[in-house]
Amino acid sequence: MIRPVLARRERVLPAVQAFAFLVGIVVALALGLILLWTSGHNPAEVYERMFDSAFMGTDSLSRTLERATPLALTGLSVAVAGSMGLWNIGAEGQMMAGAIVATGVAMMADGLSGPLLIALMIVAGVAGGMVLMVGPALARSHLGVSEIITTLMLVYVAIRVVEWLETGPWKDPESFGFAVIEPVPEQAALPGLFGRANIGMLIALGLLIVFWLAVSRTAWGYELRLAGSSPNTARYAGVSLRRKILTALLLSGGIAGLAGAVQLTGSAARLESGLSNGYGFAGIIVAALALMRPSGVAVVAFVFGAVQVGGQSIQTLGVSSAISDILQAMILFGALVAAVFFNYRIRWTGPAADSSGDQSEEPEEPEPAEDAA
Amino acid sequence: MSEDALIGLFVATVQFGTLVFLAALGELIAERAGVLNLGVEGMMAMGAVSGFMVGLETGSPWAAFFAAAAVGALVGGFHALVSVVLGADQVVSGLALTIGGLGLAAYVGRNVVGERPETLFTDLGIAGLADIPWIGEIFFDQPPVVYLAVLLGLAVWFVLARTRLGLALRAAGESAPTTDTAGHSVMALRSGAVMVGGAFAGAAGSFLSLYMAPGWVEGTVAGRGWIAVALVIFGAWRPGRLALGALLFGFTLALQPRLQSFDIEVLGVELNRISPALLGILPFVLTVVVLVIISWRYRHRPSPAPAALGLPYRREER
Repeated sequence: MIRPVLARRERVLPAVQAFAFLVGIVVALALGLILLWTSGHNPAEVYERMFDSAFMGTDSLSRTLERATPLALTGLSVAVAGSMGLWNIGAEGQMMAGAIVATGVAMMADGLSGPLLIALMIVAGVAGGMVLMVGPALARSHLGVSEIITTLMLVYVAIRVVEWLETGPWKDPESFGFAVIEPVPEQAALPGLFGRANIGMLIALGLLIVFWLAVSRTAWGYELRLAGSSPNTARYAGVSLRRKILTALLLSGGIAGLAGAVQLTGSAARLESGLSNGYGFAGIIVAALALMRPSGVAVVAFVFGAVQVGGQSIQTLGVSSAISDILQAMILFGALVAAVFFNYRIRWTGPAADSSGDQSEEPEEPEPAEDAA
Repeated sequence: MSEDALIGLFVATVQFGTLVFLAALGELIAERAGVLNLGVEGMMAMGAVSGFMVGLETGSPWAAFFAAAAVGALVGGFHALVSVVLGADQVVSGLALTIGGLGLAAYVGRNVVGERPETLFTDLGIAGLADIPWIGEIFFDQPPVVYLAVLLGLAVWFVLARTRLGLALRAAGESAPTTDTAGHSVMALRSGAVMVGGAFAGAAGSFLSLYMAPGWVEGTVAGRGWIAVALVIFGAWRPGRLALGALLFGFTLALQPRLQSFDIEVLGVELNRISPALLGILPFVLTVVVLVIISWRYRHRPSPAPAALGLPYRREER
């Protein structure tokens, strides 16, 4: 008898994942439909509004791209750490740290011309993100402390520091008693492209390409992936794991910090505790769905940007924007489960010498003939 | 600082300790069986909102407590289905559970924000013990959930350390193939552990919304679920140490809103002049510091973590 056996592939192939992503979107929309319907909304109307506000017309598209920019950057941040098997789940906090330092620079150097000031602020953002990552990175590389918890804990620290700055040291004296920080200087606004999209989008795109090249086409990237997938082999090949962990995590923190600076100069008027807006957490889902690949990050970030813009737009229909968070998590769950199923292939086993005619499938690995008797 | 304020601080320490202890105890059960569940924050939020809504509807905090536990078990079951039964990545599934759980809780609770239930958990003095000065007020005049948490802690210790079920659970966390060979279903053990763990987290959430901070607002869990995850590491996966750690973290959580009212000077800094926002970072910084110290202590010894923690078990690939 030839019998089918399910064989699991070791890694999820990109094509499989792309299909799983689509299934995830369908699953999420189906579950969202049930949720909307049971809470008395008209799902068709809600989904139509979401689609229109995210894709129809240049203004809508520009909003989607505006949201996709920080998502792509935080997604890339998580993916850089993830390409060596590390989890930076504190991009939300590093974004804030980046925005804090960038704001500090803007306050000190507000006399500078626009391009120079923006460049300085972005460098400051990278530095800020890295600073928040130094502790978790050293703890991980030298003591093996789980970076998952340490990076996450510092999110709360960064957000509270912003709250402290708002109420105290950086409180805008002209804010009539409101606890807000003064807006960044006018010349520090990133130049716009069209609608609400600004050149932050191009910065994100450029970085994605640079990292795609670095991770997939250079010896450095190869060592990084090797250190993640088989640490012992890497060590034997003379790769310093400690240094690799440090660089991957610091880069990851730096990119998230850059996301904060881009958000500050691009879309936000001032540093405030809501600036990171969940982008850092959503970036984890983006990177996980993208299997830590920069190309995937770009695609998923665009889709998630659309989901978020859609989520905002349905508030006028009286629907909570929490729907978009639920949809994002459900896309990931759907894709996760779909990938498990798609990752099996059917393999036919058994002695090929069976008399039955149905032998169109080539047995790949015939079992020993001992049970043929 | 007045005596009352000091007693108040310790009373709150026990309550915050109970909150993180309950959630961490659930996570401990799951991790001892080999499943990392990073969804505690989401499970607590779901427990908080569902418990609160049941409390509003029924007026019974206990009905709310058990409903929250059931919802927590259900959400935990989702993690079990994805990561144990289907063998997907536990980290990814847990993180998605936290993000999705927080989103779903916000959605479900959108219409009850700002409402106040008629009945909350009330303090229950234990006859004879509650009148002891200091000790009585701090330990024996607490809401019943506090005593229940102590009993649950003892029960979990007993089951894990002294029963065949506990042995099988721990075996599933150390070496799944061995457990399988011994005739136990790894899938059932692990799924059960994750669901029980979810129930604990959900119940902890309802303690939050029906006693600690009565009501429901988005973000009410505020990172306590993550502290619970860290607490399991601090407790070296043992219920006894977990309880000690819970009191330590409970203390820092209780300290933050109260420090302002204490006029103490530390190193020349008047504590009540520090911004509350800045004091709020204390529990989170402490968590990081504590994790570093623990890893430092274990740097030359094998980690006390369950050997198979985080590894999916696929029977056909044994």
